[in-house]
Amino acid sequence: MKEKKTVLFSAFRGGNVVPANFENWFERMAAEGWHIDRVGQWNSLWMTFRRGEPRKYRFICDLQASPRKEYRATYEQFGWECLGRMASMYVWRMEYQGQRPEAFTDKDSVVGRNRRTILAVSVSFTLFLIMIIFYAVQLTCFPDSLTESDRAQIIAVMALFSVFEILLGIVMLYIWRNRQR
Amino acid sequence: MSLEKARNRYIPMSETMFYILLSLREARHGYAIMQHVKELTGGRVVLGAGTVYSSLGKLEGDELIEAVTEEDRRKIYMITPAGSAILREEAARISELYKNSGGLL
Repeated sequence: MKEKKTVLFSAFRGGNVVPANFENWFERMAAEGWHIDRVGQWNSLWMTFRRGEPRKYRFICDLQASPRKEYRATYEQFGWECLGRMASMYVWRMEYQGQRPEAFTDKDSVVGRNRRTILAVSVSFTLFLIMIIFYAVQLTCFPDSLTESDRAQIIAVMALFSVFEILLGIVMLYIWRNRQR
Repeated sequence: MSLEKARNRYIPMSETMFYILLSLREARHGYAIMQHVKELTGGRVVLGAGTVYSSLGKLEGDELIEAVTEEDRRKIYMITPAGSAILREEAARISELYKNSGGLL
């Protein structure tokens, strides 16, 4: 029997860009006996689970770009175990029986968590937008300084970035539509 | 933050904010707030870690509460005079609601 399982792009598949879906996905993996004890910077791209006993865990994905000093201590005191963070998304875990524990217990803080996630995506969105504008200015204002192959390259890169922009836009819209949970 | 601005932002107040401010009439850290609120409401309102953390940050930023000391990386907060004023206004609003809803039950 396989002892390890690697999942690629876990944060981007099956609706997992919505934090609540990502949490449920981790929970289903744990219920099937697939565990991850640490998460790090690059785990949104690939993630390796080890086989173990099926367990009932509640996971929390909480995006905090610059948490205050007491952030970890607060969660830990409430009984959450910090698995680490991927980029600025903290992943917390708690074993439970009976009632499923929650970290966000009112509408404002659930929406707040989802809003922070959208804000993080919007940073990438803005960076790509700036680059597209930069290239567009180069193409239209300084056409003489470019060779034919420069032009072709710039247009190809702009097309690629535009595809990213559409994808990021869809992601932001999708999280926004699911902001209440 | 001016009282006028705080009034605009916090009144009417969410149950979470109300109970956090109410708890912080005594110095408490996040976990103690949760326990206090749970006890006050007979287990109906159980605040989560993320909610407590983000609410305390917001209230502190708006100067309705302040950190008075720190132990084991945990900040201990207390309500400020501005926070007390807002809490009293909200309590007055709620007692008016209570008075006017008397015939319903």
